[in-house]
Amino acid sequence: MNRYLVATAGLSLLGLSVTACGASPSSSSTAPRAITVGTLYSGSGAFATSSQPQLAGLKFWISQENSKGGVYVGAYHKRIHVKLVTYNDQSSATTAATLYTQLITQNKVNVLVSDFGSVLTAPAVTIAQEHHQLLFDPTGTGTVFFTPGNKYIVLTALPTSGIWPAPLVQFLLAQHISKVAILYDSNDFDASQAATVDSGLKAGGVTPVYYQAVPSATASYGTLIQSIKATNPGAVLEFGYPPNDIAFLQALRSSGVHFPMVFTAFPGQLHQLLESNVGQAGLSYTYSYGFPPQLAYNTVNEGLGTSAFVQAFAPTDPASVNFLDIAGYQTGLVIQAALRHASSLSQLALRNAVASVSGSLNTIDGSFKIDSQGGQVGELLPVSQLFPSGSTTKIQMVYPPASATHSAVYPAP
Amino acid sequence: MPAAGFVVANAFYPNQQELVMMMVYLALAQGINVIYGFTGYLPFGYVGFFGAGAYGLALSVLYLHVPAGVGLLFAVLAAVAVAALLFPLLRLEGVYFAIASLAAAEALYEVISNPSLAAVTKGPYGINLVSAYNANASFVAAVALVAVSMGIVVYLRTSRLGLALRAIRSDAVSAEFAGINVVQRRTVAWLLSAAMAGAAGGTFAWYTSTFYPGAVFDSSISIFAIVFALFGGVGTTWGPALGAVVLFGVYNAVGISQPQYFQLIYGVLIVLLVLFLPGGLGSLVQRLAPRWRRLRRTPGRGPEALPGVGGPDG
Repeated sequence: MNRYLVATAGLSLLGLSVTACGASPSSSSTAPRAITVGTLYSGSGAFATSSQPQLAGLKFWISQENSKGGVYVGAYHKRIHVKLVTYNDQSSATTAATLYTQLITQNKVNVLVSDFGSVLTAPAVTIAQEHHQLLFDPTGTGTVFFTPGNKYIVLTALPTSGIWPAPLVQFLLAQHISKVAILYDSNDFDASQAATVDSGLKAGGVTPVYYQAVPSATASYGTLIQSIKATNPGAVLEFGYPPNDIAFLQALRSSGVHFPMVFTAFPGQLHQLLESNVGQAGLSYTYSYGFPPQLAYNTVNEGLGTSAFVQAFAPTDPASVNFLDIAGYQTGLVIQAALRHASSLSQLALRNAVASVSGSLNTIDGSFKIDSQGGQVGELLPVSQLFPSGSTTKIQMVYPPASATHSAVYPAP
Repeated sequence: MPAAGFVVANAFYPNQQELVMMMVYLALAQGINVIYGFTGYLPFGYVGFFGAGAYGLALSVLYLHVPAGVGLLFAVLAAVAVAALLFPLLRLEGVYFAIASLAAAEALYEVISNPSLAAVTKGPYGINLVSAYNANASFVAAVALVAVSMGIVVYLRTSRLGLALRAIRSDAVSAEFAGINVVQRRTVAWLLSAAMAGAAGGTFAWYTSTFYPGAVFDSSISIFAIVFALFGGVGTTWGPALGAVVLFGVYNAVGISQPQYFQLIYGVLIVLLVLFLPGGLGSLVQRLAPRWRRLRRTPGRGPEALPGVGGPDG
């Protein structure tokens, strides 16, 4: 036994002395033959339905630029072909961590783009910072990602999740709804939104009558709906991921319980997915956030406007275009602006270029503006309501008045 | 040797994250080896100790401001404390124990991620340890983790404690009649296994630095650790290490090169293993070793090794 232990310890010590040896990446000042964009997607698992449209949007941007001869790179005064490298993380954060490192250390990508959402972006944050690689983060809105001193992250297509419900709070207060029930999943994305609504309402003199966290894996909402009903709320807000929203709305419909206002987050983002699972009756007169393409931005100074994008992206099925397609495309637009303005292809030059266009970039996703930590603060998420339209539903913006395309129907019929 | 192998690999292979994850899984597979290979208890909720370790390190760094290296001790302590809390589970056996441990891990996850405890655990908002992040130091910690976990299994394979545990696994009643303190020995194995997972969780937390509770309480971590251990062969010294290196290597190679066929290839590999090598790769070595010895020995120079010696059941 001792022989084994001594041998193991000895070899370990011998090995430890080698750890100091390592290769450092080299850089080149000549124009590369291609700009390599590296990203991950979820081919399966909980985030597949959200991740794949985001990748489709990014691919669309690449195809658009390559059809022009490549993306314009200001540092070399010419267009350079864009090459995409993707790996499937299968919705696993631990797998994603290995693959992000693969993209940086082995593929040596020029541009690193994270997968959909906070869970799959989290492992990239430290890895990108450690390798001094700027992370273009389309939809990872977790508040822990954006810290002072970390210059290597930029949120491109959404505001941080704590900011999302600000117009929703104003809407609830404007409607004088005094009894609000909040049901949310215990994850960063949903808990941040719930906390913002809770504090915003309290600041407005309204204390929620129901404020309950449930596990993110919750799929059965029948009992919870009955508990909420007992508080007789004027508005019910459910913050979850798409599977939660679908399960909640299905349970609500089958329970026969009716609330004057029901808000869920994803009908505005993934309208077709929600409608195919919940149906017109289950979605009618419910509320959600307003996202492009329903929230149209046609006056832009970078890339395509909403109508042109929808026409080019899905000419045969415009209704299939969702926000996450746009989030992927929007990320491409921010990369494009950075490459145009950066003095070199170094990661800090790209970061500085992003900062230089912040506030002046108007795209399909609205005004692109970041704070000093890379968090997105320029976009607004209005409150929308889904109205019956034939056999489907149509999303209309109802608040704030400047964005409104329709008057809110409250209470819901 | 595995520890040294990882160090050498680090000098040539640029994806250090992959190496660290492989080492973390190796330690977890050895932890499963300790509790399952030596006592027969299969904890599906083994990830609970891993998550406890990750949070043990994270919270000690955040609140006690200890260096992350010292935080690893808190990682071990946190996992051992959870294991002590779960002592009653050892009264269960077989599938009941497996399911109960899974439920316990889920419960722990829900407690950690509960928004009401955000002031203590950071709740669902996740952990950011970027200030404590040190890739090389955490890599060294992972190397040490591999060395220690291999050392523990070597110790169990060659010590009276390991012999007692294997006797308990074969027949607890007979072992008790033979004078073995069954409860005490099982408890030691349980705590040892938890400590190994806690150290693995702490190392993972240190190296990853930014994570959500879901990432360290993900039940697939348990499943991978169990599959790796079974693939290599439990009850052996090298089996779980071999399983972790080979399967995790294949997992990444296939996942990177053939993502569209990933599940198919990986699934077929595991099905083939279960059908044709139920004792794991270790059993293959044990089957082939006597033949190899026979080939090398001159006839009549001594007894041949008995097939199966050193296998999962001793």
